[in-house]
Amino acid sequence: MKVSYVSSQAISQALRHSLLRMQSELVSGQKEAQSGKVADVGLALGIRTGQAVSLARDVGRLQTIVDSNTLVASRLAATQDSLSRISEAGSTFLSALTAAISGDSDPATTRQAGRVMGEALTGIVNSSFNGEHLFAGVNTDVRPLADYRADPPSAAKTAFDAAFLAHFGFAQSDPAAVAIDGPAITAFLDGPAAAEFLGAGWETNWSNATDRGISTRISLNETVETSVSANIDGIRKLAMAAAIVDDLFSSALNEGALEAVAKTASHLVTEAMGDIAQVQAATGFTEQRIENASERLSMQVDIFNGFLNDMQGVDPFEAATRVNALITQIETSYALTARIQQLSLTRLLS
Amino acid sequence: MSLTTALGIAQNALLTTARRTSIVSQNVTNASNPDYSRRSAVLSSDAPGVRVAEIRRAAAEGLFWQNLNASSSWEAQKQLLAGLDTLAISVNGADNAASPATALGRLQEALQLYATTPSSATVAEGALDAGRQFVRSLNNGSAQIQTFRTNMDVEIGIAVNDLNRLLADFEVANKSVIAARASGRDASDALDQREAILKQISDQIPVSTFSRANDDMVITTADGSTLFETRPRAVSFESTAAYAPGIAGKSVYIDGIPLSPGKNGAVSGRLASFVALRDEVATTLQTQLDEIARGAITAFAETDRTGGGAPPLAGLFTWAGGPALPPAATTSTGLASSISINPAFDSDAGGNPALLRDGGANGAAYVANPGGASYADLLIDYGDRLTAPIAFDPAAKLATNISVTEFSSASIGWIEASRQTAFNAELTTSALKIRTAEALSNETGVNIDVEMSLLLDLEHAYEASARLIRTVDQMMATLLETV
Repeated sequence: MKVSYVSSQAISQALRHSLLRMQSELVSGQKEAQSGKVADVGLALGIRTGQAVSLARDVGRLQTIVDSNTLVASRLAATQDSLSRISEAGSTFLSALTAAISGDSDPATTRQAGRVMGEALTGIVNSSFNGEHLFAGVNTDVRPLADYRADPPSAAKTAFDAAFLAHFGFAQSDPAAVAIDGPAITAFLDGPAAAEFLGAGWETNWSNATDRGISTRISLNETVETSVSANIDGIRKLAMAAAIVDDLFSSALNEGALEAVAKTASHLVTEAMGDIAQVQAATGFTEQRIENASERLSMQVDIFNGFLNDMQGVDPFEAATRVNALITQIETSYALTARIQQLSLTRLLS
Repeated sequence: MSLTTALGIAQNALLTTARRTSIVSQNVTNASNPDYSRRSAVLSSDAPGVRVAEIRRAAAEGLFWQNLNASSSWEAQKQLLAGLDTLAISVNGADNAASPATALGRLQEALQLYATTPSSATVAEGALDAGRQFVRSLNNGSAQIQTFRTNMDVEIGIAVNDLNRLLADFEVANKSVIAARASGRDASDALDQREAILKQISDQIPVSTFSRANDDMVITTADGSTLFETRPRAVSFESTAAYAPGIAGKSVYIDGIPLSPGKNGAVSGRLASFVALRDEVATTLQTQLDEIARGAITAFAETDRTGGGAPPLAGLFTWAGGPALPPAATTSTGLASSISINPAFDSDAGGNPALLRDGGANGAAYVANPGGASYADLLIDYGDRLTAPIAFDPAAKLATNISVTEFSSASIGWIEASRQTAFNAELTTSALKIRTAEALSNETGVNIDVEMSLLLDLEHAYEASARLIRTVDQMMATLLETV
């Protein structure tokens, strides 16, 4: 007449296993409520853990690009600033040249203006940012322009002197130079002198910069050139204008020749200002591109973080509620165990 | 019927009650022994009086076997889960912080930073250091896997010893069952002992049994090799002292037949789970690390820039067979432990980290930088190559045509998926084991309350028999007085 038999051991063990399970759930629930993330990402996501790791890595990578974009943007801002300063120096020089053409000024003043222009240009072009020369192309550890006026004479000065000597048969300071007239000097300036600056002579004697600029990865698959080289036409022309004024206004040339020099220089400066404005515009475009890229990347970072949160996050309120429910359950279980242990016939037999 | 007969019956009743009380007391004593089966006395009335015809031992064969199987699978899944936990944490670190995937991400970030300021020697050193971390992560992961395999090998050795000891014990228990059965004695104690040993054996390895004359038991494993037949069969295993990638673990032989661990979800018994961890899980993970190492070496390979057709050679990362590259699309076993930073780059070894920017660790033909401290193209190219798909060995059990960075995170996905599977299987099997143990205990266990109430009955019966004897005694006295 045995109905259903229950062993004493089964009774005492019954609650133990579920209690253990509840306690381990309590531990993970606590972790989740505190961190807002699932207690064990691997167990919760399984094979998708790989995706979560990829996402977290992408977020780190995108963030690095956004950070490095800031650095590049500030380099470009410094470049812009330098270009404007070159422009300003150019317009000051231009007014000095205009005065010289109209014959109102002393040649020494004009020569001084030329020298100031040259020094300003060299100074600005050689400026560095974060240890890198701004206008050096990729050759950023070398000063892009040498000083024209140096002692011993710079290669640029020597080459110019040699060109003059070759063209006229005597040096600038030679008394015979007084005989050179306007057209003759203009021919020299447009010919051998121009080759020194606008032709191959520039890279041999003047500039250490490379034509190729620094390429930068500004988003996952977008690479742009983010520097301006000292080899751009604007800088070459300004350097030429400054050098010929500095050099020839201190020589033995007659007034007509000097006027021709001033005219050529003024022409060069005007052209250079236009060239520099174009480079400024191009740089501005690059800055704009970087800004857009950073904005896009930041948005991507936000979206990825959202994904990550969807994958690993838990609602902290839900977790807290779960913990509370578990605590209640465990307490009930304790009370029940205690009472079941009391339930014994032996206690009643005496 | 005489008074003497009545006295005899009452005496018999006292004897029976005493025996039954001793059974009750044995039951109560063993109430909390999970290997004990409840006994009950079967009475038979015979003239004159009553006697205990037999002591019956509660048994539930079906439940017992269910419990045995559940316990085998649970042990296996428990060990698998513990092993996978150990592997995941020792190779990938807590929250995967020390994993090759994370180190590779750091390296990408360092490269991007270096590509932005290629002229900075400090940043170059930073990129090199990220490379070092990556190498360390792979070297360490590989070493941990081999230590893990060695530990599993030791565990297998211990389990095999246990099994041999248990089989020897089983022989003794089996003999006493046979002896008891042959001589018609109560075999309950011997049976309890034999079942207890059988339970322990099936924790190590899943078994099935059949009985022959006199309850002589024969044990075979699930795949059919004989473990015990009259005498224990030899379970042999030769341990391997130290593991390195590519060294295969030795098999466990049962009666000369190698033990097969079974497939991941169906692994049963501790022994099989150790073998599976040592020979399948750990080696697959090693293959994955080797493939990650190969992917990284390939991604940083230097190519001939002169158009002279020289082969690509190892760049930032090199290996035991460097400077040649490891063969494409196939695992070079042990690459993860032999991968190292190319000394030409390593500032600690007198190398120059800027070669990362310029190329040329393998001679002038491999120089990529036409001259310029801010040349970033090669660095950008390395970054691209890390995310470009390459062919991987299918033996790694991951996708075969993805980038090395994706491959490294897929490796994490793989081990975490295995952990999740083992965790769920452990939950299910432990629930099954607990349920069957409970049902078995309900069928064969002792309920103290029942025993106590039985004791009350016995007390009353004893009292009644005693009263009977006294009454007969009084009647006898009365009779003697009158005579």
